[in-house]
Amino acid sequence: MTWLIVSLTLRQLLGQRRTWLLVLLALAPVLIAVIFRLTTDGVRDPREFVADGVMSNVMINLVLPLAALIFGTAALGQEFEDGTAPYLFAKPLARWRIAVAKVLAAWMGTAGVVGASVLATGVIALVGGTMDLIVPAFMVAAVLGALAYAALFVCLSVLFERALVIGLIYVFVWEALITSLAPGAAYLSVRAYTLGVARALADTPATIFSAQLGGAASFGALALVVLLTLGYAIRRLGSLEIARRA
Amino acid sequence: MSAARSAGEAAARAPQPPPTATRGTAVIELRDVSQWYGNVVAVNDVSFDLEPGITGLLGPNGAGKSTLLHLMAGFLRPSAGTVLAFGEPTWRHPELYRRVGLVQEREAVYRSLSGWDFVRLNARLHGVADARAATARAIERVDLGAAAHRATGTYSKGMKQRIKIAAAIVHDPELLLLDEPFSGADPRQRLQMMEMLRAMASEGRTILFSSHILEEMERLGERVLVIVAGRLAASGDFRAIRRLMTDRPHTFAIRSSDDRVLARALLAETAVRGVELGDGRLVVRTDDFGRFVTAAPRVARDAAVTITELYPLDESLESVFEYLVSR
Amino acid sequence: MTEPAAGSIYDLGYRRYEGARAGRRRAIWALYADSLRGAFGLGRGTAAKIAPAILIGLALIPAVVQLAIGVLVPADVELITHDDYYNLVKFLLGLYCAVIAPDMVGRDQRNRSLVLYFARAISRLDYAVGKYAAMWTAMLVITLVPQLLLFVGNALSTDDFGGYLGQSWDQLLPIVATAALGAALIASIGLAIAAQTPRRAFATVGIIVTFVFTLALAGVMVGELTTEVTRLAIFASPFNLVEGFSAWMFRVPPSDPDSLLLAAGYPLAPYAAVAVAVTLLGVGLLIRRYQRVEA
Repeated sequence: MTWLIVSLTLRQLLGQRRTWLLVLLALAPVLIAVIFRLTTDGVRDPREFVADGVMSNVMINLVLPLAALIFGTAALGQEFEDGTAPYLFAKPLARWRIAVAKVLAAWMGTAGVVGASVLATGVIALVGGTMDLIVPAFMVAAVLGALAYAALFVCLSVLFERALVIGLIYVFVWEALITSLAPGAAYLSVRAYTLGVARALADTPATIFSAQLGGAASFGALALVVLLTLGYAIRRLGSLEIARRA
Repeated sequence: MSAARSAGEAAARAPQPPPTATRGTAVIELRDVSQWYGNVVAVNDVSFDLEPGITGLLGPNGAGKSTLLHLMAGFLRPSAGTVLAFGEPTWRHPELYRRVGLVQEREAVYRSLSGWDFVRLNARLHGVADARAATARAIERVDLGAAAHRATGTYSKGMKQRIKIAAAIVHDPELLLLDEPFSGADPRQRLQMMEMLRAMASEGRTILFSSHILEEMERLGERVLVIVAGRLAASGDFRAIRRLMTDRPHTFAIRSSDDRVLARALLAETAVRGVELGDGRLVVRTDDFGRFVTAAPRVARDAAVTITELYPLDESLESVFEYLVSR
Repeated sequence: MTEPAAGSIYDLGYRRYEGARAGRRRAIWALYADSLRGAFGLGRGTAAKIAPAILIGLALIPAVVQLAIGVLVPADVELITHDDYYNLVKFLLGLYCAVIAPDMVGRDQRNRSLVLYFARAISRLDYAVGKYAAMWTAMLVITLVPQLLLFVGNALSTDDFGGYLGQSWDQLLPIVATAALGAALIASIGLAIAAQTPRRAFATVGIIVTFVFTLALAGVMVGELTTEVTRLAIFASPFNLVEGFSAWMFRVPPSDPDSLLLAAGYPLAPYAAVAVAVTLLGVGLLIRRYQRVEA
């Protein structure tokens, strides 16, 4: 039953215009990699360009949170917006099942789009040189980060009608702006956890690419984010008055 | 239902119909239910029972019809009181949906799915054992077989309404709640849908539909719940309700030996509010049913006019409703 | 009693309006004022007020900090300068635009109320102009107000308040000019995108992606790749344009050694020219959209 809801949600998410916006976004790093290959001056270390320039600054900072935000807030939010929520909620289904299915769908959509972009970007920019473990490390980080973001944004969409705006403020004000001014904020930032995971898995020298948080702390924090936000989403969805949102 | 109220009690306009003792057949029970949103009271201390058969939920827009239906569908937590379906609270009770079908007011469907896939999806979400057969049955029932494989996004309003009903009955529910089911349907489709609902009711199901259109209520609602400004204003057989409300303005048509003379004579009566001549008859409007009925023969006699026919003109729900709403 | 009749139409007292009409100018003004109020969620629910209020509040923080320092610390400190103010709050500008633009033009499309406007004194062109003016004003709140506050804060933090004003009054022209052009640029891009769809989520995402994506692209193309051709990407990024023309107007080269403006190495005047061109293009697209949109 859970998979039925997942596949229905994926169908809804992928069959609409804003998905194309996302594909465009995911193609950007790939495009950058292509340009890099065509114009490289041979002076810079491709590993630094990929790990620091593209993967951290564009992929994890931008493409991943935006993709997760779009899928995560739409997975459940769109059912309310379109008025299709009653079809889902007037069924003999426990609410936790709906919450879990929505997170899974948002995760799969995000991980699919971002994972493909990581793979293509990494391979295009690095193949033929030293690759270390940059591509697999960022693949794993993106997939795990996608799960945490998906759970977080689905949770926001249970709580707020304007989850998209609140999520945007979290990503661009908290994770981007505040964290750059007050580095301590990184301890509450999915982006920092994701980068921490990538750092822990990649075997590149720290001079090429570094992260604020350690590996173990990052894995633990990601797991904690998933558990807390999913748990809270289930709890609040259980007592959500559908008629007030639909 | 509490149709059998005494005329005297009704005339006194008891604020709330007494919650009649159930005979054990109530499918839905509302007891002292109120629902408010912030400062706005949408449903105000409503009690009633719903039994198998068709019941109409009548009221103007914004009266609280949808809120009541949502309460019964478990989509709202009652601010006060209890809402039971099959003896169990509807709030936070998803298992009840095995026995309940809901047709919501919004036209929303999963637009990219075909009609067939949409109904089948609902069957599968309900865990229906043979989803295929159930889907075929439901689509057959709403007579959409020809369009079943088109995307629902391309459907007309009436077709969307029907596919929504098919989705709501695919698991063969005992209780069917429909919010404004006839909006957007043309007169022929409306008749077909009514026929279908009647057939379903005759199978022993409980059907509650809301409407603000009196003609629909009159044709389909054996019983009505009239809701005005969040309060239950009347319930029962609508003709019976109508008879009980003797203190509202009535309109009568009179045929007599000399309408013109009788009209002039009646105008002198305080109980008579207005008179209109034409169409070979005299139309009289009165505020006071009782006084008019006693006065009419006397006036006719004094004016030496013979009344050949006197009949009420407003036995329609429209007039009952207008009266309740404009009070 | 009226004449007896089989059918009658009653005079309920409805009259035609025979008085003077305020005319087109007032109609546009009404649209402008109502749209501007809507941008801040005035006249709407609490939920609509929160996001704009938070973003304006955040944009004010640097200026307020400077003001506080000016009042509390009697020393000559200038922490934040006018020319790098935009660099600090650029995400806020983009977010603010992405939050208010979809509401400003999307609601009427969602509620299908465009036809009501066009059936009255407002033409399609008037509608686009009125909405753009409102959006531009709303953007000014977040570009100009913090800058003016910053100016006062800087004046207070000097020993000689009057002396600072006399010395720095020439700063006022670039302050107002950058705020006006920045607001015009962001507003035109935001509205041109938002007007394409009635759905708020699409519009919000579209605007954010446009700003952030071009910024990131410019960052890589100019900062990392640094070839003749890829460096041009800086002109495609609205945030970098704002940074560029404000450096030009304040006549201060970028102080940050990591600034993309330095990496690109172009003279600064073209940033202003491109910003004006992009603004006009956006307004043109907006007007074109309303010539065609189904009312």
